[in-house]
Amino acid sequence: MSEQIITPDLGFVKDIIASGGDSVKKCYQCAACTVVCNVTPDSKPFPRKEMIYAQWGLKDKLINNPDIWLCHNCNDCTKYCPRGARPGDIFSAMRRKFIEDNSIPSLMGKVVTQTKMTLLALAIPFILFLAVLGITSHLRIPEGDIVYSKFFPILYIEIIFISAVSLAGIVYLASLVRFWNNMRKSNSQSFSKGFIPALIETLAEFLKHSRFGKCGPNADRRIPHLLVFFAFIGLAITTIWVTYYYYVPKVNTPIPLTDPMKWLANISASALLIGGALLMINRTKNKGFISKSSSFDWTFAIIIMLLCITGILTELIRLAGISTLAYPIYFIHLIFVFYTIVFFPYSKLAHMGYRSLAITYSKMTDRDISA
Amino acid sequence: MEKKFGVYLCKGCGIEEAIDIERLSTIATKDMKMSLCRIHSALCAPEGIQLIKDDIKEGVNTIVIGACSPRVKFEEFDFPGTITERVNIREFVAWSQHPKTDDTQSLASDYLIMGIVRVQKGEPPEPNILEDLSNTLLVVGGGITGMTSALEAANAGYKIVLVEKEPQLGGFVNKLYKKIPTGEFKEPLIVDTDIDKMIKEVEIHPNIQVYKSAKVSKTDGQPGLYDVTISSNGNSETIKIGAIVLATGWKPYDANKLDHLGYGRFKNVVTNIEFEEIARKNNGKILRPTDRKEAKKVAFILCAGQRDPNHLPYCSAMCCTNSLKQAKYVRQNPDSVAMILYKDIRTPGRLEYYYSEAQNDPGVMLTKAEVTGVTNAGNGNLYVEMENSFFGEKVKVEADLVVLAIGMVPSTREPQEYLDGLTAASAKGDEAKKAYLDSTPAPEFILNLSYRQGPEIPSLEGAYGFADSNFICFQYETRRTGIYSAGAVKQPMNIAESQEDAAGAAFKAIQCIDHISKGIAMHPRAWDTTFPDVYLLRCTACKRCTEECPFGAIDEDEKGIPYYKINRCRRCGTCMGSCPERIVSFKDYSVDIIGSMIKSIDVPEEEFRIVSFVCENDAYPALDTAGINRKTIDSSVRFISLRCLGGMNLVWVADALSKGIDGVLLIGCKFGENYQCHFVKGSELADYRFGKVGETLDRLRLEAERVKMLQVSINEYDKLPEMINEFVEKVKEIGHNPFKGL
Repeated sequence: MSEQIITPDLGFVKDIIASGGDSVKKCYQCAACTVVCNVTPDSKPFPRKEMIYAQWGLKDKLINNPDIWLCHNCNDCTKYCPRGARPGDIFSAMRRKFIEDNSIPSLMGKVVTQTKMTLLALAIPFILFLAVLGITSHLRIPEGDIVYSKFFPILYIEIIFISAVSLAGIVYLASLVRFWNNMRKSNSQSFSKGFIPALIETLAEFLKHSRFGKCGPNADRRIPHLLVFFAFIGLAITTIWVTYYYYVPKVNTPIPLTDPMKWLANISASALLIGGALLMINRTKNKGFISKSSSFDWTFAIIIMLLCITGILTELIRLAGISTLAYPIYFIHLIFVFYTIVFFPYSKLAHMGYRSLAITYSKMTDRDISA
Repeated sequence: MEKKFGVYLCKGCGIEEAIDIERLSTIATKDMKMSLCRIHSALCAPEGIQLIKDDIKEGVNTIVIGACSPRVKFEEFDFPGTITERVNIREFVAWSQHPKTDDTQSLASDYLIMGIVRVQKGEPPEPNILEDLSNTLLVVGGGITGMTSALEAANAGYKIVLVEKEPQLGGFVNKLYKKIPTGEFKEPLIVDTDIDKMIKEVEIHPNIQVYKSAKVSKTDGQPGLYDVTISSNGNSETIKIGAIVLATGWKPYDANKLDHLGYGRFKNVVTNIEFEEIARKNNGKILRPTDRKEAKKVAFILCAGQRDPNHLPYCSAMCCTNSLKQAKYVRQNPDSVAMILYKDIRTPGRLEYYYSEAQNDPGVMLTKAEVTGVTNAGNGNLYVEMENSFFGEKVKVEADLVVLAIGMVPSTREPQEYLDGLTAASAKGDEAKKAYLDSTPAPEFILNLSYRQGPEIPSLEGAYGFADSNFICFQYETRRTGIYSAGAVKQPMNIAESQEDAAGAAFKAIQCIDHISKGIAMHPRAWDTTFPDVYLLRCTACKRCTEECPFGAIDEDEKGIPYYKINRCRRCGTCMGSCPERIVSFKDYSVDIIGSMIKSIDVPEEEFRIVSFVCENDAYPALDTAGINRKTIDSSVRFISLRCLGGMNLVWVADALSKGIDGVLLIGCKFGENYQCHFVKGSELADYRFGKVGETLDRLRLEAERVKMLQVSINEYDKLPEMINEFVEKVKEIGHNPFKGL
């Protein structure tokens, strides 16, 4: 075997430090983290090796590394690290850095992943909506019953969102393919399992969130994350359902509260609210170690909560009949909806795809753990 | 001095529960006819001490204290101007015997009687103080260690003679660009050495006389009375010296032997010393040797030729921290990286914080690695190849400069190796010796001592030529009284450690001058004012004492009659043990005193009695510890403390056996010069003499198994009672000594 050349990259080390990995240099490679980690495979385990890669700035060894995504941020490692190197936080920082770098276009990656650019990210839908509504002379509070399509016609929403989401979907897919190919290239291993069976196994695992249950100090995250996970699935189904209603039986919004679609929508919204709140509370709880949730994490959590709250308010205020409040809230809600579903390849939500692929890959290469 | 006796018995610490103190008191007053015997419930308490002091005021001057071990409460029971004997009825009796049995009682009574006999026979010591003693300290070596020793002692008011072989003071620190801060470890983690200020301080100090480009060509005499000849620029001068600090430091390991790491093959592979010079000459800029371009990727190979059986097998202790410091030189350019490839990072104590601070620098990159080679990467750059690194597989890094962290070789190593070779050759005969002398170039000696054991301070076997040190008890103790090694000549040290060590050695040297002026021995008997007194009229000039004295304290004149350089003597009594004429005595320790103690032991016909001679530095404390741990020792054994088993005289065995005592057991320290015995090899000498005990046994027609020698170290207290009891069982199997009751 020819010797690999290790080329330290000071710039990348500084990037990791700037991305919330300020403790990376504290690691002295004792591997206590790897010993206490419950979600690492036995062969070539993490996070010890990633910590030295990060200390030397070995970008190549990190960006195509499935293990970054096998990590569930349980923080057993951070709790037991004798040196305060907080591997959990380093992994979070590396994931953020990866999302940023692997984004298409890369500018969007920067805008969404960097907290200081959040207002700019929110300004995109704001200006877009304002322009559409302004040009079509809809920028006013409509008279009569509160029907949101009178303010923002459904057709406009469909055009804007379907095109934007499709575009986002395509670039996300491209990012995922790139990640997959790089992962395969830099980890030449034989496969013991096909992609489809491995992916099915992975998705089945997600339904139970069993890996979260293996976390030590952070095991409490399983239920809230499960709630949020299913809430998003529920809301996605709702969105498709309402579109179906609109075009096939031609039922107009608002849909009555007695409709099963509305049940699903309201249950999902509540699950998101409760799950999101629990996640945020969990993050502030003392779990016996200090972990720095990055501003990237917090920004995303806050936006999801705002999405959820404005959504619920949109419904409640409509039912209360306060039109002067209802339409502006609806407008704000749409901005957060845009942020969440159009920017997802660049936000924390992007982890869904990367993690699915990483776990699938680990299953294909015999590095699975019994979840 | 007319002796007025006082016996004091303590009841505290469980003594009263094990021994009938009233009966013991009767032994003192009735059997031993002591006029005064007092009992107290806690003799070491202020009231108990006052009791004794009041009696001293009334004229009591010969005191026997039956209480705890003499190894404890020595400050409380210190009564200057008296003869005081401590009888250990706590550890040796109350704590290691079954309470209130007849056997226990007779053991306590034997110890008390032996103690009383001892003070009856002993005399108050009168210190032997020589005249015209010098208070001047000689410091050999003008590096950071030597200068620190000189300044510390000079500031304490002593005159110093400082000898440096180079034309300027400063030693290795002169070569450094920066040093590690001694206070807080904060960025940038490197500070000026300020060596110039220190050199100036030494040179202008009124108490320090500096000799540069100079060496010690002869060291004659003894502590307080050394005649040291200093040669400098063709001139010689002999100066009276009191004590000596040896601070000759170290030399870097020969990097030419490290060609597997590229040294010699590539100009851009340099040693840590050369790297300092590069940084210092270019004011911090790291310009590499080949093209004087700034090195921006510097690899540091730690333990280069160290912890390696083919080179230096030991760790030089300073290189890990020093390499981190040098990494910070590299990092003065914010774009540069320093790669540290280590076997282990060894930054003990506070230096751990230095390590973590340096490690926090994003451009200081560390990994454990076994460096397997250095190869050409073109343009003057190099690949450093490694295995077993934190990266897992075999990897290499490209560097534009490679720094080898080479280790320290003590300056004493070369003379030591030469002398060891000479000793080995001499053992093979005169011809081999001559061949050795002809074929081997003599190295530069450092102290050139006039000592029958050789011209240099000895080195322990397996100590790689580092100067002698009793590293277990007193790291400053060498086998040359009055000479104290300090700094990296003794063991690898960094600057801060050397300076601390230098101060310690200076104060040890001052203590030596002080003790000698009062006629007190140096360590380990650093309170002792007795000295070996020889009745020369009966000397047969057999030279055994001169041969056996571990400290070269005895020489003989032309007629072969011994004379003492008493300031070299450590009062071990080896000469007393060696003398077949039994003419060497101390005021409180002599063949007669110990013999009388043996004779005072009560030997009932139906009981077994065993005498055990134990050395005071290992066996005695081990027995104390066994007592503290309540280990039971057979009640037939009577321990007699010897300063060193080297003082063991065979006549005592005859005394014991002819009196009917059933067995004799010697307990000394482990053999071998490496075993850190304060008196070097007293135990071995005792064993050698013991080998001749057969004659005595034959004469008495006794079994050879009745006498035995055990070797123990101080920490073997848990095994010792068992070893002793085993011997007792053996003796009991043989049966009673037929001389008993005759």
